[in-house]
Amino acid sequence: MGEVIVVTSGKGGVGKTTTSANLGTGLAAAGHKVVLVDTDIGLRNLDVVLGLENRIVYDIVDVTNGNCRLRQALIKDKRFEQMFLLPAAQTKDKTAVNPEQMKQLAAELKEDFDFAVIDCPAGIEQGFRNAIAGADRAIVVTTPEVSAVRDADRIIGLLEAAELYNPKLIINRIRPRMVKRGDMMDINDILDILAIDLLGVVPEDESIVISTNRGEPAVLDQGSQAGEAYRRITRRIRGEEVPLMNLDIPDGLFDKLKRLVGRR
Amino acid sequence: MKQTEHVSLKGTKEGLVLYLDPGQDFSPLMDELKQHLRKSAGFLQGAKVRCCAGARAFEPKKQAEIEDVLRENGLALTGWFTAEELGWTARSQNEPVARTDTGQQIWDEGMAEGTCVVVDRTMRSGQKVVHSGHVIVQGDVNPGAEIVAGGNIFVMGALRGVAHAGAMGDRQASVSAFVLMPTQLRIADLVTRAPDDNEDWRGPEVARIKNQQLIVESLISGGRRNKAR
Repeated sequence: MGEVIVVTSGKGGVGKTTTSANLGTGLAAAGHKVVLVDTDIGLRNLDVVLGLENRIVYDIVDVTNGNCRLRQALIKDKRFEQMFLLPAAQTKDKTAVNPEQMKQLAAELKEDFDFAVIDCPAGIEQGFRNAIAGADRAIVVTTPEVSAVRDADRIIGLLEAAELYNPKLIINRIRPRMVKRGDMMDINDILDILAIDLLGVVPEDESIVISTNRGEPAVLDQGSQAGEAYRRITRRIRGEEVPLMNLDIPDGLFDKLKRLVGRR
Repeated sequence: MKQTEHVSLKGTKEGLVLYLDPGQDFSPLMDELKQHLRKSAGFLQGAKVRCCAGARAFEPKKQAEIEDVLRENGLALTGWFTAEELGWTARSQNEPVARTDTGQQIWDEGMAEGTCVVVDRTMRSGQKVVHSGHVIVQGDVNPGAEIVAGGNIFVMGALRGVAHAGAMGDRQASVSAFVLMPTQLRIADLVTRAPDDNEDWRGPEVARIKNQQLIVESLISGGRRNKAR
């Protein structure tokens, strides 16, 4: 019996789809049988990020409406035999699926897969309610911005109301240099407000843009810092204890001089 | 609870009850009622209220007049009580309930009673609690969350959202928190927002009205950081 994990955030653009793609790929790379589900009907992206857009025939709405069998709609990944994508429909909207159907779908996916990772749309309306309907656990993605943290807080409240307790937090796109200067919220500021368990911290990394455009998840790029962060997050999901990545900026010459003079 | 000379509005477990002093003449009583409702207009919109006038029963015409005033202020009158039904009479609202072990009653300035809601979790953005009595939160009140209380508000964690105490016009109401950093703080008809500067924690604090001003004071004896806002 597998596990259904929903990746959500409230605010758009914080990295839900990137996170879903990397978690799914990371889990598949670790040998698990994984399915990625895109519930962002009308604005599908996950297929692009995975580089699978030209293989879509059927989508999630076809499955829930009974136009095809689940197996027909699942797209096999080009890198991993054990990884599949269930794409969203692009020509419909969120009302094309209801939470009851999503529950059924999730139950069906759990039979066949170790992990089902659900990419949730932004917002708190039906798309969100669909995405969380069948989930066993939730991952909340935020960035170190007041607006994203506020939305994450709202989402955590809504998840609790939907009886999805103990969501885990991923802080995405953190810039250690800005944090050090005091220009960006640091991890503790965010945890103070949200008060949930931290699953991982992903640094801002240009390689994400490149990997997204190429359709190659960064988690497979050994040279990418963000990829390393996602590899660690994947291991934590599998139950390993992994320390947070060291994101400290080494002191510059000026800092060292200041310390020598005893001004710090 | 808000109380003017002869009119008071009290949250009970049966809902809102409007109490009208039986000893007062009708016309000044109505003036007081109108003034009172004006102050608490925002909070009361759409509420249902029952009236109680002690031993005195108003003539139907006067009853209709009271009902009209209530309706103008967004309140629906749902019935009349006698004092006996409610279990409290003219001045009994202020009678002491606390007693010493010898049975002697204690009532002091600064004691308040009333119904109370305990929120046993952190209130997150988008969550709102409205209660006609006091509200206690065992947790934080995050930015974007809101509490509206007829009485006092106590937050055992950090208050970072919006808090409105004495929402029915009670200027004696207070807001206290272990960490008092509200987005906005309202007591009765006064509104204040958090200062833009100082982020550092000053210890548990209470906000209340003194001399027509919202004052924040430390709750720890010897706290020095009292200041007007």
